[in-house]
Amino acid sequence: MPRSTRISLISLLIVVAVIAAACAPAAAPATPQVVEKQVPVEVTKIVAGTPEVVVVTATPDASKPALPDGSVQLNGAGATFPDPVYTEWRFAYPYVDPSVVINYQAIGSGGGKKAIADGTVDFAGSDSLLKDEEYAATPGLQMFPTLAGAIVPVFNLAPEVTTTLVLDGPTLVGIYSGKINKWNDPAIKALNPDANLPDKGITAVHRSDGSGTTEAFTKYLAAVSEDWKTSPGAGSAIEWPVDKAGNGVGGKGNAGVAAAVQNTPYSIGYVELSYATANKIAFAQMVNAAGKTVKANAESLASAMADFGDKFSDKLTIDRISNGSGEKSWPISTYTYLITKMDQKSDPQLGCAKTEKFLNFVHWALTDAGAAKRAADLGYATLPEAVRAKVFDTLAKVTCDGQPVGSDISMK
Amino acid sequence: MAVSMSKKRSGPVARALQHGDVPWSFILIAMSGIVLVLVVLIGLSIWQGSALSRQTFGLSFIMPNADTSWDPIAEAFDAWPIIIGTLVTALVAIILATPISVFIAIFLAELCPDRLRAPINFMVEMLAAIPSVVFGMWGIFIFLPTVVKPLGDFLSSTLGFLPIFSGTMPASGTSRLAACLILTIMIIPTITAVTRDVLKAIPRAQREASLALGATRWEMIWQVLLPYGLSGILGAVILGLGRALGETMAVTMVIGNNTVEQSGSLLLPGATLASVIANEFAEAVTKVHTSALIELGVILFIMTLLLNIVARFLVWRVARRVPEARA
Repeated sequence: MPRSTRISLISLLIVVAVIAAACAPAAAPATPQVVEKQVPVEVTKIVAGTPEVVVVTATPDASKPALPDGSVQLNGAGATFPDPVYTEWRFAYPYVDPSVVINYQAIGSGGGKKAIADGTVDFAGSDSLLKDEEYAATPGLQMFPTLAGAIVPVFNLAPEVTTTLVLDGPTLVGIYSGKINKWNDPAIKALNPDANLPDKGITAVHRSDGSGTTEAFTKYLAAVSEDWKTSPGAGSAIEWPVDKAGNGVGGKGNAGVAAAVQNTPYSIGYVELSYATANKIAFAQMVNAAGKTVKANAESLASAMADFGDKFSDKLTIDRISNGSGEKSWPISTYTYLITKMDQKSDPQLGCAKTEKFLNFVHWALTDAGAAKRAADLGYATLPEAVRAKVFDTLAKVTCDGQPVGSDISMK
Repeated sequence: MAVSMSKKRSGPVARALQHGDVPWSFILIAMSGIVLVLVVLIGLSIWQGSALSRQTFGLSFIMPNADTSWDPIAEAFDAWPIIIGTLVTALVAIILATPISVFIAIFLAELCPDRLRAPINFMVEMLAAIPSVVFGMWGIFIFLPTVVKPLGDFLSSTLGFLPIFSGTMPASGTSRLAACLILTIMIIPTITAVTRDVLKAIPRAQREASLALGATRWEMIWQVLLPYGLSGILGAVILGLGRALGETMAVTMVIGNNTVEQSGSLLLPGATLASVIANEFAEAVTKVHTSALIELGVILFIMTLLLNIVARFLVWRVARRVPEARA
């Protein structure tokens, strides 16, 4: 017995030692992969495409052309909804400022909020607004909109209807509550008098994963229906009444919803506009609040943003831009946000340059014509002038260690 | 000098260290200890993470309830339909996969001509190497419309009176049945490979003895090999069950993700513990929602633990009944 006791004691010690050893490299800062000074600036532009070569510090060397001092890595995480645009932006931006490397991990809005509150990222993306208690828990959090996107109802009515279908808010509410369960329901017939609508049950497909797309879609349903607003409400994941009615199917991600709709005769679903156009899925037109039938595109999205103008709260957020009153407005539209801190801590190596570079990046993303075009090509829209001015007014007040930052935003 | 050296060697410490036995055993124990520490740490952290949910909902979280909800807006969560979904899919998958896998393994170990053995072995191992997201893709686009949906309609029209085949399958084929069948395909290689190795490890003498007593090949396999290897085969089944319980991506893509359907019918969409966590964790913005999802993790953890204990017990029973059986 004493022998086995000794063995177990010693083995416990070794376990502790091994764990300590395993943790030690993680605790110590990983050796920064310093790119040699000799690398000319032109090369770093290419380097931006290979994320593993991250420029953390620039060693001083007077003899050769140097990387700009204070090369910076900006880390972000959060919403998946704007990720296609953020990905384009972060690969394009090094051509503007080669000293900046931007990371964005699309881990979801919830994860982004946690990361910015914990201080593990420099900025977070989120589709859902911060709650009062979240503002209280982490003082100095600031949300600001960056993009707007459109959500479209996609359908599979082949062979009867393949081209166009017109829907409106109350009909969508009816379908997703399970109250409208046949395609030849009078409500749908009234909107599509010429269509050959079949006498078939509707399978309603929704996102099974929590998503900004779902949040925007359900906010629209809540905006057109008081009943929907009370129950089930609006959010990134909700309890779908159509599931309880037995006609609902949950698909994972845009791809899951699209696949379910394409494989299910007589089904309907909702996805981001970019996803529907890129994959050539038939999507419906909508009757908006002004009673006009509109298509989802950059123009109707811009009109939706214009309807709500700069009616932002003092926290620079707006509850929704869906169901806008404009004649051209696409009704199922939404803003997506970034979250940052109003007073940032200076970086041990770079001082306040990091904050400055971040603000410059935001300035570029919101003003540059190329950045806007990249967003528009993906089916998103950048902010209208009035909103942008509000964003810049707020961000100009961002401080670093209590000191104002000399960025493009504050010089605007 | 020679004397002094031999004296040194004969000391208890030196002798223990001489052939490295003791250091070796320490290292091995330490490595095994890491597993133990990890399990305890994971268990502790998810137990703490689920504290809010456990306080808010208590036992009603896992209790059967006629009108369950999974409503992140109203913050009302019931895990019952999800537990049902997990158990039904994993158990049906294991019931379907076990005979298939054992038969494949018998064929590979006993009957297969040498020319065929290598390719079949290779295919079985290939099947194990396919990432689950690929199974999910294949499921959505090919398997569901061509196999699951027709099968579901057939079962519904012929055996629809049984509760487990009640209801009508959605037109897309997304259902618990789809998840069961995908899981079956995914766990076949695991069970087959282990069972094959168990059968191969049975001493030749056992086979020869039974054949010498006049047994046919079939009797030899059925009455000697299988009982002899039973505890090992059970171990293989447990491995498969573990994978079926915890499989996430492929299941999420084909099960339909209905978190409130609690009939347990194979033809209807459902959800499993792992699939709900995978779906909702990233965008869970309220504390209660996050905590409820972590509690699902706790349930899965405990469920796996219980099943393992039951399996150990079974193996022990078998080992006692068949004295020569070894796991």
